[in-house]
Amino acid sequence: MSVEVEVDESDLAEMVEQVWESYLDPEGVSPLIPTYDENQASEVHSSVSITGSWSGHVVYASSTAAARRAAAAFLAMELEEVSEEDISDTLGELANIVGGNVKAMLPPGAQLSLPQVVLAPESTARYPNAARISGVYGLWEGEPVSISMWQISSETKEDGA
Amino acid sequence: MTPMRAMVIDDSRAMRMILKRIVTKLNFEAVEAGDGKEALDLLADMTEVPDLALIDWNMPNMNGLEFVTKVRADPRLREMTLVMVTTESEQSQIVRALAAGAHEYVIKPFTEGAMIEKLALLGLVPTGANS
Repeated sequence: MSVEVEVDESDLAEMVEQVWESYLDPEGVSPLIPTYDENQASEVHSSVSITGSWSGHVVYASSTAAARRAAAAFLAMELEEVSEEDISDTLGELANIVGGNVKAMLPPGAQLSLPQVVLAPESTARYPNAARISGVYGLWEGEPVSISMWQISSETKEDGA
Repeated sequence: MTPMRAMVIDDSRAMRMILKRIVTKLNFEAVEAGDGKEALDLLADMTEVPDLALIDWNMPNMNGLEFVTKVRADPRLREMTLVMVTTESEQSQIVRALAAGAHEYVIKPFTEGAMIEKLALLGLVPTGANS
């Protein structure tokens, strides 16, 4: 059975702030500037699934340029040194970190999957029976980045069981 | 003086790179493993046991908790300091890891400074290493 989640935009925003402070912007000079635009475009995305006391997905999406910049910051590399593998690894770890922190706010019994990375827009992702319930949308040095939560409908799950 | 050795165990190459960068800055020699099983295999072949292991929780093949349990059951590895570095931040999980034998617990995301502070509390930061 899945419960109503109580992780909201402000919780996600706090996690995003911690990620930026820890890895993407330790100097505190390039924060994520909120756009509140849940339809902003992306070119790559990563996700982790949560099952158990809550069922859904946590998705990190961005432009390729923002993903490259994230990998460079995460791995302490120059932008031109960043490979596709670096981008993929970084996106996966970012989804894992945010997803893990979301899981910690859920009732006991939630399980976190290993991350999945897709070098294609978030709009190509298919999350059956899931609806976006919250998210943080912004620009990082002019490039779109978003972190969102998708909840799987328990009614649909039970109907289909 | 023999340099200290650290083992970085995480299935994320990106996270291994971050942790390796930190311990290298502290003058550790670092080795990497992608999961607990690979780490145990590497340890079996080592003549000198690392001083420190930084261990993720959720990994394929063998997770961090299983790794800690196995290390603690092996007298040859008893001197190794074990630090869990994970997104598992529920109190119950922290208690489980510490009960299994982990010395410290670091929750992701962490800043470099926070990690160094934890290692300093464990007496693993040589004087002047972080200058």
